[in-house]
Amino acid sequence: MTKPILEVKDLARYFGGVKALDGVTLEVPERGVIGLIGPNGSGKTTLFNVVTGFYVPTRGEVWYAGERIDGLNPNEVFLKGLVRTFQIPRLFPSLTVLENVLLTPPRQVGEKILVAPFRSRWEKQEKELARKAVALLKKFGLGDYVRAKVSELSAAHMKMIETIRGLITDAKVYLLDEPAAGVAYTTARELFTFIRRLRDEEGLTFFIIEHRLEVLMDFVDYVYVLHNGKLLSEGKPDEVMNDPKVIEAYIGR
Amino acid sequence: MLPSFDILGFLVSWGTFLGIYAILAISLNLEVGLTGMANFGKVAFYGIGAYLAASLSVYTVLAVYHVAAAPYTTEGIIALGKYGGANPALDLGIFAASLVLGFIIAGCVGYLLTYPTLRVGPAFLGITLLAFGELLRIFLLNYQPLGASKGLSGIPHPFLWIPDPVLRERLYVLVVLGFLAITLWFAERITNSPFGRVLKAVRDDEVAALCMGKHVPRVKATVLFIGSGMAGIAGVLLAFYMSSVNPNMFVPAVTFNIWAMVILGGMGNNKGAVVGAAIITFVDRILTFITPNLGITIITPDYIRWMIVGILIVLVLMFMPGGLVPEKPIKTPAWEAVEDLEKEPARGGDEA
Repeated sequence: MTKPILEVKDLARYFGGVKALDGVTLEVPERGVIGLIGPNGSGKTTLFNVVTGFYVPTRGEVWYAGERIDGLNPNEVFLKGLVRTFQIPRLFPSLTVLENVLLTPPRQVGEKILVAPFRSRWEKQEKELARKAVALLKKFGLGDYVRAKVSELSAAHMKMIETIRGLITDAKVYLLDEPAAGVAYTTARELFTFIRRLRDEEGLTFFIIEHRLEVLMDFVDYVYVLHNGKLLSEGKPDEVMNDPKVIEAYIGR
Repeated sequence: MLPSFDILGFLVSWGTFLGIYAILAISLNLEVGLTGMANFGKVAFYGIGAYLAASLSVYTVLAVYHVAAAPYTTEGIIALGKYGGANPALDLGIFAASLVLGFIIAGCVGYLLTYPTLRVGPAFLGITLLAFGELLRIFLLNYQPLGASKGLSGIPHPFLWIPDPVLRERLYVLVVLGFLAITLWFAERITNSPFGRVLKAVRDDEVAALCMGKHVPRVKATVLFIGSGMAGIAGVLLAFYMSSVNPNMFVPAVTFNIWAMVILGGMGNNKGAVVGAAIITFVDRILTFITPNLGITIITPDYIRWMIVGILIVLVLMFMPGGLVPEKPIKTPAWEAVEDLEKEPARGGDEA
């Protein structure tokens, strides 16, 4: 394992008396594909929400590339280079696939209200981004969908585009919330193959919540297990799968 | 003004109202149609523009000519009538200053009002703005320096120094339509730009837009600043056209009339907003012209008009749910780049 790019130190988040997250410490190494598993209600999505700025932690710290990021707003966290996806793909339905990808690059000149009316000031940047976006879509076999409406896509393609949206920026770490939920087994394996390919070719880091362990375990380097807001176990996939504590938490007594 | 049927006179009157209401409809479309912010208080910003123009002009004229009377007294109104058209430079200067200040002040009020409500749902924003509009009207109804229930009159028309009233009105309609043209140009340009793309993204899914690094509260506040500023301009244009303002011109029904225009024309399409405004102001003007005893105020309860508008909306929503001019995809130079790429011979390497 290389040095950690994302570090969570003693992170806690309470909702009234409910300790959704209660002192979790973990790290995600650069260029890692790391799994985060645990039964329903164990705090996985809360952890993602705290890391990406949706919640302020009750206690603890989040460090990204040597910088403390807890307490930042979600848009600021994104601009640091962390992309987050949701269980249900959240693309923008009234925009085309190309526009969904074009939306993400930060600091676009034409997004300033006073510059936007004057096309010549942002036309060059817009065209460059469009060429970059088309190249990315083609590279991952989505070249035919450039003009498609989001509603015309399959669930798997939507999930791929959610990730590709991040690629056009310089984002380095991707937090994926159940990428394999709601897709067929073979498609799920294709999605994870796509994720591995992005790691190998683009040097990206992935931190993945997943319930479909039969898919996840074949593709991740390391797994963290949450239970009742606490870290229950961690290790290589086969170590975790054979840990009696994990089996008990999943199956119950 | 009212011969059997004066077609040109009708067109001038319709054109003026069309221009004013189309500016309001475009501004509402930017907020509701493109960004998804339900503004139920549009009339407040329209009223701010109108009252700003009215108070600025009458107080300035009285001060310049050293008249001690207040503008809402009989003496004040007589003095305003006497000095109103005396100095073309003064009239035009007041007009220009009102437009600039109307835009800035209405815009700033919109910006500030949205601050406490931006992080909550759209319904809260709508209700807050609706309440603000009513509070403003009730304040105006009771605030003596602005004429209370009688309002302010004797607002000097910017072309009052031209002796012929018909020519004056024709010049004014050109000014109003000029402002409409600028507003439409601006709205179309920002819609078809990366900024417009962000607006539609915010409308579709605020949380996802936030996750994609967009500063959603700032985007919304910017749109409300611009939209309210545009409504302020419309109010200034109305005040100088009517030459008087009173609180009952700014009832909540005005807001819903503008909503009707946007729904009729097509949510999310600026040209649709203009079409909607054209239809509703046409119905309104034609009724005013054929029933002369209704007088010139558009706010007189006019049940036939409301019925016609209601029927039109039901018909349009039944047969053309997107409105008469439905929303169009965003056009940016990105598509030109895509077309250029498609024209290039494939260099191989992609799996199709």
